[in-house]
Amino acid sequence: MAHETPGDDFAYDLRFQVVKVMNQLVMVIRLCQGAQNAWDMLSDEQSQKHTTTGSGDLNDLLGGGIHCKEVTEIGGVPGVGKTQLGIQLAINVQIPVEYGGLGGKAVYIDTEGSFMVERVYQIAEGCIRDILEHFPHSHEKSSSGQKQLQPEHFLVDIYYFRICSYTEQIAVINYLEKFLGEHKDVRIVVIDSVTFHFRQDFEDLALRTRVLSGLSLKLMKIAKTYNLAVVLLNQVTTKFTEGSFQLTLALGDSWSHSCANRVILYWNGNERYACLDKSPSLPVASAPYAVTGKGIRDDLHTNLREVDATEQATIVFLYLNMWHIIHSQINTVIREKQLQGGQLPIGMDNS
Amino acid sequence: MAAAGGGGGGGGGATTSGCGLKRRYAPHDQEEETMNQDQSSKEDWCGRLWNGMDLLKDVTENKHVLPTGLEGIDTLLGGGLRQGQLTEVTGPSSSGKTQVCLHSASHAAVKHMGVVMYLDTSNSFSPSRIATIIDGTNDLSDQRRFDLPHKERLKTMMRSIVCKSVFDIFGMFEVLHQLEVSLLNDKVKSGGRKICLLIVDSISSLLAPIIGGKYPQGRSMMISVAMILKKLAYKHNLSILVTNHMVSAGNGAVKPALGESWKAVPHVRLVISREHGSNICTATVLKHTLLVFPLAI
Repeated sequence: MAHETPGDDFAYDLRFQVVKVMNQLVMVIRLCQGAQNAWDMLSDEQSQKHTTTGSGDLNDLLGGGIHCKEVTEIGGVPGVGKTQLGIQLAINVQIPVEYGGLGGKAVYIDTEGSFMVERVYQIAEGCIRDILEHFPHSHEKSSSGQKQLQPEHFLVDIYYFRICSYTEQIAVINYLEKFLGEHKDVRIVVIDSVTFHFRQDFEDLALRTRVLSGLSLKLMKIAKTYNLAVVLLNQVTTKFTEGSFQLTLALGDSWSHSCANRVILYWNGNERYACLDKSPSLPVASAPYAVTGKGIRDDLHTNLREVDATEQATIVFLYLNMWHIIHSQINTVIREKQLQGGQLPIGMDNS
Repeated sequence: MAAAGGGGGGGGGATTSGCGLKRRYAPHDQEEETMNQDQSSKEDWCGRLWNGMDLLKDVTENKHVLPTGLEGIDTLLGGGLRQGQLTEVTGPSSSGKTQVCLHSASHAAVKHMGVVMYLDTSNSFSPSRIATIIDGTNDLSDQRRFDLPHKERLKTMMRSIVCKSVFDIFGMFEVLHQLEVSLLNDKVKSGGRKICLLIVDSISSLLAPIIGGKYPQGRSMMISVAMILKKLAYKHNLSILVTNHMVSAGNGAVKPALGESWKAVPHVRLVISREHGSNICTATVLKHTLLVFPLAI
C-alpha cells in the first residue's frame, strides 16, 4: 500500500486504531450508556418518598404527594391558592426524615412578588404544630430533632430568587444546574409563576414557544439528574373553542405538552377543588382542599357531607331550622303574654 | 459507521470523514476482513441489488407486525406496528399518546418479542404503570400479587424494557449512534434477545426549541434524525414508534407539529384525541402506506 504523504499515513493509522478501540468499547457498553431497565426503575420508584401537600385528599389524588424526578404543573384562577400550595410544598419538603418527610431544602423562584414571608412563617409554625401532634413521643426522644423543629430553621432552608423579567428567568434556570451541583440537598424547585413574564412584552409567539420548550427541557433534565421535584405554577386564560369561551392554562397548546403532570385548581361553589388533568400513571380525579391559617389542609366540611350523601345534610338542616322556628315561636308567645300582662305557664319563661 | 467497512462503510463513512480518507477504504479491505469475518454477510446484504421476489420473500418472512395490545389501534394499523417502518402517533395534550407507547412496550415485553428501547424526553415513562398494564389489574398494592413466581415473571418481563432519558437533540444523536454501533456489532443482548421495538416519546419536544426562526439548522437536524431512525428500522428490522404534538393552525384548529417536511417521514400516522372528562380516545389514520382506509374508527 503506497501512502502519499506522512500526514495521510498518520490519519490512516489513527482511523484503524479508532475502529479497534470502538469494537472493544462496544463490548463494554451494553445497549446504551445510562439506560436502565424497567424493573430497576420500578424498584427505585417504590422506594421514593413523596412530598406531602398537607391535605390527605390532595395526597391521594396525586398518588402520595408530589413525586420527585417529575415536573408538575399547577394552574388555577387568581385567588384559588396556587401560591399557598407552592409555599406549603416548600415547607413540607423540609419535614425531617424521622417524621416521614424528605428532609430536603427548597428553591423558590418568585416572578410575581407574591412570596409573603410572614405567611411562610405562619405556615411553618402550623406544620411544626401538626408534626408534634402526630408524633408526640418520638419528639421527646431525639433532642437534636427538637432543636431543628423551629420555624426559623425552615425559613433558612428555602433558597429564594426574585425575577423581574423573562431574561432573568431564563438566566436563573440556566444557572440552576450549577447551583444544584453545589447544593445537593435541594429536593424541590417551585417556580411561581412560570407564565408571568412571558405573557406580556413578547411579540414573536414562535420565539416564545421555542424559548419555553427549551426551558421545560432543561427543567426536566434537572428534575431527573438531581432527583428533585419541579413544581410550576401557571395562570389561566380564556380560549375560544367550539363556539364558546373556556378557561385554559396560559402559554398555549405547545406548553401544555411540556409537563408530565398537570393539576388544575378551581372553585366549586364555595369550595376549592383540585383536578388531576394529566398524569402518566394516575387516573383523572378531583379532590377538595382548604386554605387555612396553618396552610393547605383537608376540607372538613366536604367530608361531613360526603359521608351520608344529602340525606343527613337535609335532616340536620331541617332539625336546626325547626329548633330555631320553635324557639322563635315560643319567644313570640311569651312576649304576647307579657304584653297582655297575663300569667305565664310554669316552665315557659326564658330558662 | 466505522465497523461496517467495505462497500457499506464507504457510503456511511462519507458523511463523517472527509473525502481525503475515502480512497483508503478500498485497499484496506483485505486487512479489515480478517477482523470482521462475521461482517461479510451483512456487507453483502447491504450492498447487493434486490429483485422483486427477494423483497417479497423478505417481507413475508422477516417483516412481522408487533401488536400494540390496544384493539382499536391494532385494527387501524392493520395488525400493529410493522417492522422496518416508522409509525407516528400525534394528538393534543393528554389524549393518550404516552399510554399508547406504554401499552406497546408492555405488550412486546409480555409476548417476549424482544427488547424494547424507550427513549423518554418528558419524564413520562412510568414503571408502575407498566407493571399495572402487565399485571392486567388496577390495584398494584394488592399483596396477593407479590407472591414469588408472579414477581419473578414480572421481573423478567420488565427487564426487557430499557429506558433512557434524553433532553436535547445532541443527546438524541449520541444515543442513536451508540445504538447503531452496538447493533452493527451484534452485541445487543439483554437476556439473549435482540431489540425489536424502539419508542421515542416524544420527538417533537426535542425538536421544538430549534425549529423555526432564524436558525436553519433546526430543520436539517430534524431530517437527520428522521434518516437515522429510518435507517435503523430498515437495516435491523425494528419497528419504531414516535410521538408528536399538535400546534395551532389558525382559527382554533390544530395540526401536527414539525411542519410540512416531517409529513413525508413516517410511514404511518395516527391522530388520537380524547373528549374532556372521559376515558375514551378516538384514533384517526392520517397516512398509511400499505392500507386504504375510507373512514376512521
